[in-house]
Amino acid sequence: MKKQSLTNKEETFKVLIAEDNAVSARILKKNIEDWGYEVVMAQDGDEAWKAYQDEKIRLAVLDWMMPKINGLDLCRRIREIDHEEGSKEYTYVILLTAKGQQADLIKGFSAGADDYITKPFNRHELKARLKTGKRIIDLQRQIMEQADRDGLTGLWNRKRMFKILEKEINRAQREERPLATIMIDVDNFKKINDTYGHHSGDSVLVEVSSYLQKSIRNYDEICRYGGDELFIILPNCNLAMTERIAERLRQCVSETKIKTDTGTLDITISLGGVSSEIFLSDLTPDKLVISSDEALLKAKSNGRNCVVIKKKKDKM
Amino acid sequence: MSELKSLNDTKPIDLPSALERIGGDESLLHELIEIYIEDFLEKHDLLKQAIEHGDFNTIKEIGHSLKGSSGNLSLTNLHETFYQIEMSGREEDIERARYFFHVLNKEFQKLRDFFPKQKTQFSG
Repeated sequence: MKKQSLTNKEETFKVLIAEDNAVSARILKKNIEDWGYEVVMAQDGDEAWKAYQDEKIRLAVLDWMMPKINGLDLCRRIREIDHEEGSKEYTYVILLTAKGQQADLIKGFSAGADDYITKPFNRHELKARLKTGKRIIDLQRQIMEQADRDGLTGLWNRKRMFKILEKEINRAQREERPLATIMIDVDNFKKINDTYGHHSGDSVLVEVSSYLQKSIRNYDEICRYGGDELFIILPNCNLAMTERIAERLRQCVSETKIKTDTGTLDITISLGGVSSEIFLSDLTPDKLVISSDEALLKAKSNGRNCVVIKKKKDKM
Repeated sequence: MSELKSLNDTKPIDLPSALERIGGDESLLHELIEIYIEDFLEKHDLLKQAIEHGDFNTIKEIGHSLKGSSGNLSLTNLHETFYQIEMSGREEDIERARYFFHVLNKEFQKLRDFFPKQKTQFSG
């Protein structure tokens, strides 16, 4: 059985350098860029704090003594955000200290710093410390990614699905755009398991997931809701578009021969969709899930291998 | 042999150490020295005034800032001199500040002699 690979997009590793001293800042920038990192520069604590909030900073090199907000306070603020917002990824913080400040290092670690380097720094030491920071951030990212993936299909799991829904609802409301969802069920999945065995059933789920993933737009998200039920989140998608996409997905699966260890199977899916346009009150993840599920049940009762889109205005 | 390496036996800068810190990039070193000199000249007058007025906080801050730049460029003597100025500010020792301000001017002139082609002029 071919397990679906994770679809994590490669991102540049952004390093924030907060240093008011022009010479030191230029040396840091030159070196850190030479080592392949993308650098964001800040000349004081205020600028650094703004850059941290605006950019996806993975690692921060903060001078201890800076105008406006010093490195120690900046570090505390960064950690407060880490605690408040579960979705924000951890930022590795390296404090830059002068030799005389080494006695204060315990304060730095208490404020949430991960490491420190003494000025004037040794280039090789700085490189090694950045590499250590990157290794830890990459490992953390992998662990977070795995915790949010379904072990069989590699799709986002149910926990992540609700997080994505929250985020997309907020975005849709902010941008005044529709948001659609589709619940999908593999037709007669129990029968496949009973006839060909659970191993074949698993293969069917993996293959169907893979076909669907290849068929959606690159900004759509596909998740395993549970059992043989999959869930697709479609930003900026109205009812008509949702119907077209769902129908395309249905055709794609029905026209594809699904390979399993016990042979090639003809598989079909039923789909139930909804778009935010039908809701008259505030949109919530639960409303989208429940309405999509209701539409899916209708599709199944209509004889399966079909699409039902809920169009009636909903006061829920 | 480059211009910088041929001057290596003079005192104000530990050239191999400075170049090592920036991956051997000599043109960058010149750029950094230029930034340093500009920063020095800007802060020099402020430091002079701070010493005249006994403003220890400013003495400490300028000492600390230029100590950092000097260290990063391996300007060994200037690094030590600014360390002493920073400490004189911390310990509110005006005599020590005056003495090292005098040392500072001499050390800075050595640096200017070492890098005669740097554009920024110093009036002393």
